[in-house]
This record gives sequence, structure tokens and C-alpha cells, in this order.
Amino acid sequence: MSLLSRLKGLLQIQRLEQDLDDELLSHLEMRTEDNLAAGMSPEEARCDAQRRFGNSTLLKEQTRAVDIVGWIETTDQNLRYAGRTLRRSPGFALVAILTLALGIGANVAIFTVVEAVLLRPLGFPHPEQLVRVYDDIRSSNTRDVGMSVPELWDLRDRSGVFQDISVIFPADANITGGERPERVEFLGTNANYFTMLGVRAQLGRTYTPADALPGFSEPVVISDAYWHRGFGADPHVIGKKIRVDGDLYTITGVLPPDFHHPGRTLTADVDLWATTGFAGPPFPAPPVRAVRLLPGVMGRLKPELGLARAQAQLDNFVAQRTRQFPDEYPAAAGWSLRLVPVQQDLVGNVRTELLVLFAAVAFVLLIACANLANLLLARSASRQREIAIRLALGAGRPRLITQLLTESIFLATISGAAALIIVVWLKRSLVHLAPANLPRLSEVSFSPGVLLFAFLISILTGVIFGLAPALQAARTNRSGALREGTRGAGVSKHQLKFSRILVASEIALSLVLLIGAGLLVRSFQHVLEVQPGFEPHHLVTAKIWLAVPNNSKDDPNFTPEKRAAFHREILRRVSALPGVEQAAIGNGTSLPMDFNRFQSPFAIESRPLDLERTPVAEIASVSAAYFSVLKTPLLQGRFFTDSDDTKGQPVALIDETLAHRYWPSSDFDAIGQRLQLGVARRGQSSAAQNPWVTVVGVVGNIRSDGFDAATAPHVYFPVFQTPPYSAVVFLRTTGEPGVLGEALHTEIQQVDSAIPVFSVRAMDVVVSTFLAERRFALELLGIFAGVAVLLASIGVYGVMAYTFSRRTNEIGIRMAMGARRTHILRMALAEGTATIALGVGTGLLGALALTRFLESMLFSIKATDPLTFGSIAALLAAVTLLACLLPAHRATHVDPLMALRHE
Amino acid sequence: MSNPKSDVLQGTLALLALKTLARGPMHGYGITLHIQRVSSDVLRVEEGSLYPALHRMEQLGWITAEWRASENRRRARYYRLTAAGRKQLAEEEKNWARLTQAVAAVLECA
Repeated sequence: MSLLSRLKGLLQIQRLEQDLDDELLSHLEMRTEDNLAAGMSPEEARCDAQRRFGNSTLLKEQTRAVDIVGWIETTDQNLRYAGRTLRRSPGFALVAILTLALGIGANVAIFTVVEAVLLRPLGFPHPEQLVRVYDDIRSSNTRDVGMSVPELWDLRDRSGVFQDISVIFPADANITGGERPERVEFLGTNANYFTMLGVRAQLGRTYTPADALPGFSEPVVISDAYWHRGFGADPHVIGKKIRVDGDLYTITGVLPPDFHHPGRTLTADVDLWATTGFAGPPFPAPPVRAVRLLPGVMGRLKPELGLARAQAQLDNFVAQRTRQFPDEYPAAAGWSLRLVPVQQDLVGNVRTELLVLFAAVAFVLLIACANLANLLLARSASRQREIAIRLALGAGRPRLITQLLTESIFLATISGAAALIIVVWLKRSLVHLAPANLPRLSEVSFSPGVLLFAFLISILTGVIFGLAPALQAARTNRSGALREGTRGAGVSKHQLKFSRILVASEIALSLVLLIGAGLLVRSFQHVLEVQPGFEPHHLVTAKIWLAVPNNSKDDPNFTPEKRAAFHREILRRVSALPGVEQAAIGNGTSLPMDFNRFQSPFAIESRPLDLERTPVAEIASVSAAYFSVLKTPLLQGRFFTDSDDTKGQPVALIDETLAHRYWPSSDFDAIGQRLQLGVARRGQSSAAQNPWVTVVGVVGNIRSDGFDAATAPHVYFPVFQTPPYSAVVFLRTTGEPGVLGEALHTEIQQVDSAIPVFSVRAMDVVVSTFLAERRFALELLGIFAGVAVLLASIGVYGVMAYTFSRRTNEIGIRMAMGARRTHILRMALAEGTATIALGVGTGLLGALALTRFLESMLFSIKATDPLTFGSIAALLAAVTLLACLLPAHRATHVDPLMALRHE
Repeated sequence: MSNPKSDVLQGTLALLALKTLARGPMHGYGITLHIQRVSSDVLRVEEGSLYPALHRMEQLGWITAEWRASENRRRARYYRLTAAGRKQLAEEEKNWARLTQAVAAVLECA
């Protein structure tokens, strides 16, 4: 009653204070009345009554203090007792603290990442209003096709959905004027980008409305990192001129160090921002509605609109525009606009992984708690005598339960503190473990939320593993335990059954984890087995970037012939480098796994134009040797040759996917057929359309989007017929590619000293980096599953060992009476099987229900794959049966006489 | 004002209050009056010590309290002995008897 009433007291302080006031007042008034009746004057009566109370405030305080003092006293007593008990069994304490510290530490570590990446809102004012706007074409199932400039203006002025909207155009930029040309990560935006995000410069200023010109304006803004890297954090950097892609700009601002562009970039964090209206050079002016040249748009919704309403309003807007511009937005194409909150866009694809890891590590902690609970149950069995004495001396059961619970919470809190210290200490190495492209990784830190989480989870852990044993212990039958002759280690049937249930739940939890890990392993294996379509070993790629000055008259490479000549010269030189077997060159989209894609609808000659399902393919331009450098096979026809240049007939190569899709039967040959890029619009003259190209060969599929994406069909053009500004050099090397980077730089700089060479990479490194993110989740989950199985096996072993140590007597008798070892073992098996079966059964059901959350991480394997489920369940059952048999085996080796003597 | 008589009273306040309540439920003021009257004014319970003691006894579960209408239709908080309180009273009475016997024995001897 005391604990409850104390708790109630704390919660109802106000009411009780009022009660006390009323009570004292009534006492006062009664005495006053009596005084009056005894003949005192009213003031005397009152005074006397008051005086007898003395200092009424002090009185009230003293009365109230009885409450709190009592509570503090009890807690203090409990804590001291807990401390003493733990000191008496340091072995147990150490094991418990270690186990818990690991479990809690893992949880805190993962939570730190979850908190920074998923939970913490982006550091902008009203981040929930920031959205990405994507254009989709529903008919061909293509997403993110890009937006046109007039469409952007419509959204800004006529949709009524945005209070601010800006283009985000990531690109490479070439900074010249230093000792060597440098390539920086560039972002082109409208002039309101920074005000839309609510960011101010730490030095200088960002854009003003005066900077909103149709073309590029002069001010540029740099990041804090680039300020340090390129300018040595020079405070006089404001006003410095810088040559970007041949044009002169002025640095007007430096952004704060914690600002990161909240979107994807080409390679790294943005170094340099410039602003343009995208309606002046180098962009086509005046802007054309059908040209979707804007790769990304970000906006801030009006404050009164939620996401759903904004999307609905936007859908209406799309319907209206489709009606108004039937040529640019053919109804059958199904153009639509999609809003995605920026935070979701940024972290969306790691969300599942992080949450799965979080759940996994929580499972491990639960299993550890179950083990500790079992351990405590066993210990409480040996403390029966102590508890019985306390009960006999008058301790209330609730007091006892509180006492025992305090012990476990105390233990858990120490472990939690230890865990926190370890995690903080290891923070840097933990961050290194995470895949480098994890979004918002730089924001991972120990916020108050993390500390609170650590604290709460410690307390919760203490309660979880301490409650059941505490309740069980307090159920002790007083007289039974005090009787003479009890070893004090007796355990009730009840307790044993509870232990078994705990172990079964441990088995179930570890089965779920194991199955999850197993599915991921098989999925990963499938990914590894996927043929990339090219040979990544001994393949080196490097990117080069011809500057695109704003004024085309300043562009030395303006004509295709000039560019073709440039690329030919590069190719000639790099092919001659030592260590290079063969070289090829291609445009930006020809680099596999770079996620730089260009998709275009196309038409096939002599096929009716089916607007419902317009064929779409990924487009790249490559040189003649491209496919042999990549070791992609030629299936039909021929590769490009050097004569396929601007003077020759327009030709193209298609890949296997495209060939099979549109020329499925073998009588229909793709060779000789003609394709045209783009969808012809009504009334468009043939001169304005793209030329018809002839298919001259079919090549093998190259998985340019990564191994787990569906294969998209490709169309390849000869690079010398459409020479690009940005190109990729492909080198097949004879040995290890190590020193090739420098040699490459030198050769290319000899052609043109202003060309930067960057992103020199060995293709097998790219492939393994790509796999690294998958591998990371898999490894962690595997570790957790392994730990879980270990803990569960320990749990099974522990309980069985305990059961058998109790029954040594019985076993001795049995064996003395002639039972053979195998009988005893069979007995053990029978007992253990029930628990294990329960655990495995529950685990299978749980896994069936839970693995659906893994679906987005799985590749070419079902979340309920029976083979995985079955084999892992069998494996776990075997392991736990073994853990079950071991103690039985040891028990049977006890000398029967010893066993009989054992009381 | 450390009246030696009131010092003794502090230690035995619980006993006296419990005994008073054994006669029936009573509010705080009534307990004061009763003790004062029955002891012929020798024992005066100060309000400052009564209420903390009553509160403590309530916490320990020896007495319970409820608001009720008093004699002159005034609202007062009435205390009542519980079963545990009755046991405690018996205990304390036994202790008190032993204590006084012991003190008397020592005094006689000298």
C-alpha cells in the first residue's frame, strides 16, 4: 500500500495540498469556536488558535516532507542493497554488465544514425514544406524525365501550390587559372534558391533579386569546404574573380560549414553555386516547352497546403495544362507531376535498411534480456532463503518486488552508462564503418535525443529482464524455504516453465534474425551472379570535360568537327600509353554505373506509332573500340568503325534487350531497320526532326544501372557522329592500373592544357563500392544474427544445464537401476524438443509476418522463400538440440553413487 | 519551549493517537482535545507535531482518513484505525508496559 499511495501522492500533489489546507483550516475553526464558547473575544479566540499551530507553512511543509523523505529513504535503501548484492557476486555482475553494455551500445549506435538520418528534420526553417518536383511519363513507365523552363514558370506563377520554386542543376565545372585545371561540383539554380531554403552566407552574401537574369549572373557562392580547400579560408575571398568553364565570375559569398545541398549531386558535396534563369545562353532562348532540359526542381509549398492537398492541386493543374498544350503533352503519354518531400527524397532508399538494422539490434537486446532474466531466475532460486527471512520479518511483497526491480534497473543503468561511454569513444570508427554515400552521414552526432534514448532504453531493459524474476521471487512460500534441509536452490515448476518460455522466445527471435540475414545473403549472391555485361577488372575510366562557355562565340569546340578531332587526338594519345592494351571514348552516359542516364523515346520505321506504349531507350555515344574495351560481345552485324563519322551514313547499334523486345522472332532481323530519336510532333518539318539512323549491329546487354535494376534497352551512336562536350575515356590495361592516372593527366593536358581530368577510377573498385552498401547492411545483419544465435544457444544450454543439475539425484537413481546413457539422453531430447519446437514454430510464423519489410532490399528472391526458411530453421534446431544434449551428456557421466548422495 | 513533559509526549504520540482512535473515528482536533481532557491537561498535543505524525501513520497504513460532516455540520477529516493499526496499537501498548515496568524497577532499586 505504501508504494502505491506514495506514487499516488506524487501524482496528486495539488489535491493533497488542498486537502491538508482544508484540514488545518477546519481544525483552526473548531478551536476558535471552542475558544469563543469558553468566553474569549473573537480576536483572542482566533489568535490563540493560530498560535497553537505555530508556523503553519512550516507545519504544512513538514507534513508534506513525510511523503518525499519516505520515498527517498526507500529508494536510497534499495540502491544500497542492490549495490551490496552485486558486489557479493562480481562474476554475475560482470557478465551481466558486459552483455547488456554490448546490447545497449549497439542499440544506441544504430539509433544515433537513425536519429540523424531519418528522424532529425533537415536544418532549414519549416523543412516539411520543401519538396522535390518530378515529371513522370506514365505510359512508358518512365520517371524523372526532366522539366521544361516554361513549365517551371507555370508552376511558379500559375499553379498556386508553391511559395517559392527553383531549378537544381548539378553539373561538373572546370575551374581554370590555377596551376592545373580543377573540376568542382557545381549546382546551377534560380536566384531564389538560398532564400527558399532560408540559408544565409557566413561571409559575404548569397543572391539578390537583381541576380535573377535570363542567363548566368556574375555572382557565385562557394561552400565552406571549397573555401578552405581552394582558397585557404582567405577572408578576402569576397570579390575574387574566378574562371568557370571559361567565363569570369565573382565570388560574393561563402556558405556556413553545416550547410549541405539537400539533394543528390554528381560525385561529392556541392562546391560552387551559380544562378541563371535557364532562359539565356548557353540554354536555348526563348525556352521551348517540349525541351525537358531541367534535371531537377525543388520548391517550397505554401504554408497552408499540406502535401496531399498540394499534390491534388498539382494534378488538376497537370490536367488543365495537358488540355491547353496537346502537342507538348500528348494525353496518351500520361505526363504527371509528383511531389516528394525533400527529406524523404534524400534518405528514402536507406530508410528500410536503417530500420531493419534497428529492429535487428533491438531483437538482440531482447534476447540478451531473456538470457539475463533466466540467469536472475536461477539466482533468485538460490536467494530463496534470504527472501523468505525478509518476508517473515514483515517486509511487504510490493516492497520486495521494488527492491529486486531496483537491482536490475541499477545493473541496467550501469551497463547503459558503460555502453554510452564506449559508443562516444568509438564514434569515429563507427562512422567510418558506414558506407560513405549514406545521406546526411556528416550530421551524425550525439544529440540530446540520443542521450535520452540511451537512458530510457537502459531503464526499460532493467524492467524487462528484472520484472518476471522479481515477481517470481516474491511468490516464495515462506515456510517452505525456511525449512531445514533445503539447499535453498529449489525451483518451482512454475519457474521452470517460465524459463522454458523465455528460451523458446529467444529461439524465435534469433530465427527471425537468421532468416532475415539468410534472405539477404542469398539476395546478395544473386546480385553477384548477375553478369554486368562488361569486364570490370583491368578497366580504368576517366572523365574529361570540355568547357561550355556561355557565349558560343568564345567556344573553341563549338562545331562537331572540332570536337570530333579533339576526341580522336585524345584517343590516339592514350592508346599509346604504356600499360594500355586498348582505349575507347564515349559520352557521359556511356559510363556504366554512373547513374548519369539519358532516356529518349524513339520511333521504329515502318511501325505504327503507338502512343500508348512509346518505346524508350537509354542513349549513349561510343567510339568504335568501346565494346571490345569493355569486352561486351557482338551478337549480330558489326561494331562501329572509324568511317562512321559525321560524313558517313547515320548508324546505330542496339543491345540484346531492345532487339528481343521489338524483333522477337528470328525471321525478323533488326539489322538494316531504321530508328528515329524523339517523338515527331504534328506539323514538325522533317528538318527539325532527328535523322533516321540505320541499325548495323546488336551487342550484348550492359547493366548500366547497377545489377539490381531491370535491364533497360540501349541505343548506341558513334561518338564521332555526335561528339559530346563531356566524355569518358575507357582504358583496358594489361596490368594493375595504379599509376595510369598521372600519365593520363599529362597526355590529355598536352592536347589542351585547360581540360580537367577527373574521376579516374578502376572499374572493379566502382563495382565493389556499389556492392558495398548492400554488403554493409548484410554484414551487420549477419553479425547480429550470429550474436543472437550464440545468445540463444547459451540460453538453451543454461536452462537445460540447470534442469539437469537439479535432477542429478533422479538421474543417479535411474542409472543405478539400469537405465542406459542413451535413455537419459533421449529423455533430455524429449524435454528440450518441446521448447525448441515451440521456439522454432513461433520464429517461423514471426519471420513469415516480418520479412515482408525486407522486400525492397531483396533481389530476385521472395521474402517467403521456402528454401531459406526451411534450411535455416533446420540449422537452428540442430544447433539448439546440440546445446540441449550437452548438459544431458555431462549429467550421464556423473558417478551414480555420487548422484545418489547428492541431496 | 522544551517542556520535559512534552518531550515524552513526542515519543509516544503515535501510541496515544492510536489508542484514541481505538474508541472510534475522530478528526485531528478531536484527538487533541481527547488527550488533553483525559490526561487532565497534563498532556497537550501541539498541532505542529500532531499532523506530521498522523500523516506518517497514514502512510504506514495504520490509519485511514476520509472527509465527513462533523458534529456542528462542519466538514472535517476523520481518521480511523485499520487492522494493521490495531495490531500496531497492541504492539505499542505491550512495549509501553515493558518500558514503564523497567523504569519503575530501576527507580525502586536505587
